[in-house]
Amino acid sequence: MTGFPSFVIFFQVFINGILLGCMYSVAAIGLSLIFGCMQIIFLAQGAVMILAAYCIYWMVSLTPIDPFFGFLLIIPVFLGIGWAMYTGLFQRVAKTGKNPSLLLAFGLMVLLEHVMSLIWSPNTRSVTTSYSTAAFYLGRINISVTRLIVAVIALIATGFVFLFLKKTMLGKAVRGVSEDMPTAALLGISSSHVSTVTFAIGIALAGVAGVAACITYPFDPYFGFLFSLKALIAVAFGGLGSVGGAFLGGVILGVLESLSSYTISAGWADAVAYGAFMLVLIVRPEGLLGLRSVEKA
Amino acid sequence: MTRRVLSRWKTSYLLSLILIFFFIIYPLIVDTEASYLVYFLYMTFIYIALAQGWNLAAGYTGQVSLGQHAFFGIGCYVTAITWRAGITGYFDPLAMLMSGMGAALVAIVIGIPLLAKLRGDYFALGTLGLGEILRVIAINGKSLTEGVAGISLPSSAYLSMRHYYFIALLIVLVALASVWCITRSSIGLALMAIREDEVAAAANGIAVLKYKIFAFAAGAFITGLCGSLNAYYVFHIHTAAAFNLNWVIIPILMAILGGAGTFLGPILGAFILATVFELANVWMPELHPIFSATFIVLVALFLPDGIMSYISGHEGGGLRKLSLFKWIVRRA
Repeated sequence: MTGFPSFVIFFQVFINGILLGCMYSVAAIGLSLIFGCMQIIFLAQGAVMILAAYCIYWMVSLTPIDPFFGFLLIIPVFLGIGWAMYTGLFQRVAKTGKNPSLLLAFGLMVLLEHVMSLIWSPNTRSVTTSYSTAAFYLGRINISVTRLIVAVIALIATGFVFLFLKKTMLGKAVRGVSEDMPTAALLGISSSHVSTVTFAIGIALAGVAGVAACITYPFDPYFGFLFSLKALIAVAFGGLGSVGGAFLGGVILGVLESLSSYTISAGWADAVAYGAFMLVLIVRPEGLLGLRSVEKA
Repeated sequence: MTRRVLSRWKTSYLLSLILIFFFIIYPLIVDTEASYLVYFLYMTFIYIALAQGWNLAAGYTGQVSLGQHAFFGIGCYVTAITWRAGITGYFDPLAMLMSGMGAALVAIVIGIPLLAKLRGDYFALGTLGLGEILRVIAINGKSLTEGVAGISLPSSAYLSMRHYYFIALLIVLVALASVWCITRSSIGLALMAIREDEVAAAANGIAVLKYKIFAFAAGAFITGLCGSLNAYYVFHIHTAAAFNLNWVIIPILMAILGGAGTFLGPILGAFILATVFELANVWMPELHPIFSATFIVLVALFLPDGIMSYISGHEGGGLRKLSLFKWIVRRA
């Protein structure tokens, strides 16, 4: 009976991929929102994630608070950081064009990385809890408790962003600005105000993703760029500027990575992800769920 | 008016000739092994060539590539692999040519689908993916690339810093001369037309894809040459160094700082940024990356169009802000 166990393993790998993918999804949604308001790929997304990871690391090593409570702390703090970053830096640069914004994002990434390395040293850190290794069985599938909590929090965060964009006036304004900035301005929407809100939410989502990442992986100050790339791939899968697409893209990426590291080898998992990324870019550049034409984006 | 333009041309020609003369004479009269300036100039030359290679596709043609490190890495690996296999030797022009051609070939193969289908951000993302895929392939390349450990070359072959310096100078002069000739020919006109308005360029009979691929491949060729020289310089090729993102990011910064889409911009930017980085490295080695990153942020905030736009005044608005600077440059 080789068929049945291998099917179980396949399903196990698949579930692990989905749980992993939820983390990518959150980062990807943040990236997608920022793309919507600034039309640039925010390269520093990963560095912001690692900043959140270090905040949690600090909190866990200095106080007996559980890392998952960190979410409550991280969200308001990173909303504030995002607001300050946009009003202090990006608002000024956004007027001069896309390239300077990209340059600024890159400079910010390098700055964050090295400041973190100065404060927390470049050594690899990890956040462990008493239940880090805990798991339970669902049928014959083994599910890690921490990863499940991470996935649930990712789903909640996505749900909130989705509701915000669909149901509130401000959310509608955000969508309007990301679709067509001049027309939104003609209809009386202050694009700078809306962009500030969008950017802050994007940074807060990066913070959430960072907390999720630090519970799942060991990290160092330079680990973030990899996450920026992963989030970017997830966004490209779903299509730039679509929240649902970014979520789906993250899950697809997670599944693709765990399946390819199981069937081929862990070393090739990244190559498979990048290969799929380029294939999607070439065959369906508007993304799997994307409706916007490429020319416009 | 004509006379003033003519005299300005003469001055700039004379100035560049004096500079080139200095660059040739200087390493002949100093001890190149001990001279810090020679090493500094060597690195700056490589960065100028890299920045100009990126500038051709991004600055002039508007196809922003984030995958130059892929071509740099190809140059490194082609040189290392052919040398180890005994096909080429130390400082072999054939190996350098093959490195450049290899990079250009990959640029053409990958450029056809990417450039035909993708515009703007999507093209940048695709090229970024290319660099990462090649890095993973090199890590998993078994005996061909020797994985993460990388290929060690016989470092006993080392001749002298003078050789490296002059080859770098040769590469940068060839790169600058070709970019100068390309951008001042009808090809350059076509490239800039594509940058300004692709649809209008196509409507006027420009084979858009062909020109884009040409600019992308020519930039890749120059980048591959630099990679080849780097392989001879470090004697140890491994994935982390060969496909390092610094090989794409620093040249882009230099080009943007100087002014993308101008001939002098990347040269100026490379000299300024290399100086800033080196000074930071000497004075405060611990804080060097933080200082450099702050510098990048400041450039993005206060000099977004690059230095050249303030000198030549194309961008208008900047003139008032930096009129003193412009005045000094004009007098100089």
